[in-house]
Amino acid sequence: MTYLETLAGELSAVGIRGRRRARILAEFADHLECDPSAELGDPSALAQQFADELGTALARRAAFMAFAGLALAGIFVGVGFLTAQRQVFASVVRAGSPLGELGAWLAVLGGQVAFVAGGLAGLRALRSRQAGVVARAAAVVLVRRAAVGIGAGAVTMIGFALTAVALIGHVASWWTTLTLALSGAGMTALLLTTPALIAAARLRPVAAGSAGDLSEDLGPLMPRQLRGRPWAFALTTATAVALVVALAGVVQADPFDGAARGLVDGLACLSGFGVLGRYLGLRT
Amino acid sequence: MRAEALKGHLDALILGVLEDGPLHGYAIIEQLKQRSGGSLDLPEGTVYPALHRLEAAGQLASTWSDGARRRRVYRLTAKGERELGQRRREWSTFVKAIDAVLAT
Repeated sequence: MTYLETLAGELSAVGIRGRRRARILAEFADHLECDPSAELGDPSALAQQFADELGTALARRAAFMAFAGLALAGIFVGVGFLTAQRQVFASVVRAGSPLGELGAWLAVLGGQVAFVAGGLAGLRALRSRQAGVVARAAAVVLVRRAAVGIGAGAVTMIGFALTAVALIGHVASWWTTLTLALSGAGMTALLLTTPALIAAARLRPVAAGSAGDLSEDLGPLMPRQLRGRPWAFALTTATAVALVVALAGVVQADPFDGAARGLVDGLACLSGFGVLGRYLGLRT
Repeated sequence: MRAEALKGHLDALILGVLEDGPLHGYAIIEQLKQRSGGSLDLPEGTVYPALHRLEAAGQLASTWSDGARRRRVYRLTAKGERELGQRRREWSTFVKAIDAVLAT
């Protein structure tokens, strides 16, 4: 078996196939033509190096792209809310439309999941930016966070568009047009990140190691008392969210509604941590 | 110089070699050897994963050459130029600090 044939087999074994593998083999073939006695190294070690270095770079790029796409989509949604003539969700309730209520729920829940998953993807990518290679488990977490963020962001855009459609006749027509255009632009921004996500999902590092958890993401920002206690951190965060939402209700002269929404938001926060925490590498 | 000693500096060396213009993989490795007077003697194959990684990071771009031989030619991107400048500054600070300690 020739060196190139062995290398081809090793590349396939670590998940490098198709055009990427053909390109690597063409480059090595050219090198050997230039210098037939060249010592290119152990094919197995080289294939692992390709997988580790490329897998790390692709996972990090997917996370950054997802973060950027979500930030842009978030700006579009923000513009939609800011230009609304009155409280959009209150209008949905008044309109009494099941479609509008579904849209509002999708926008609210999707938006929160997208914010957390996308933010944590960007944070982990930023904190690991100096690392040439990350462990396979850590790369998997990066890609999962990016994928969940993009998926939840898409749900938000759909919910936002449904809300706009349900409110036709209840709000100014220009706002409906603007919101549908903003939802479309936001969805486009999210779709543009999917090639990077697919590339990262196809090729992963092979290096051993742990995925890390929330303490690793937050580093010094994580209070010392809560390090290594992810559920305690989740409970503290959920309580803080509930309090902020409840206080907003007090400011809006509707404390009972604020308290109810605070309770629901806090419970949603805890439920999200319970359902997605392990999958997104927030707890081990 | 052993390959271990080059760990962490390979990216900067590749970016530095490509500053003068586009090159294919074999030529990059030859330039590394020539410019270092043969001191940089790393396993040749290990340069290729680094080239692919730098391209994935947006610091390099590559195309197939139009010549008779099918070759992947790499060039520095604007991001790569900025990264090279940053690496040069870091290296300069590092060398000054080590010199200051060793000279005493």
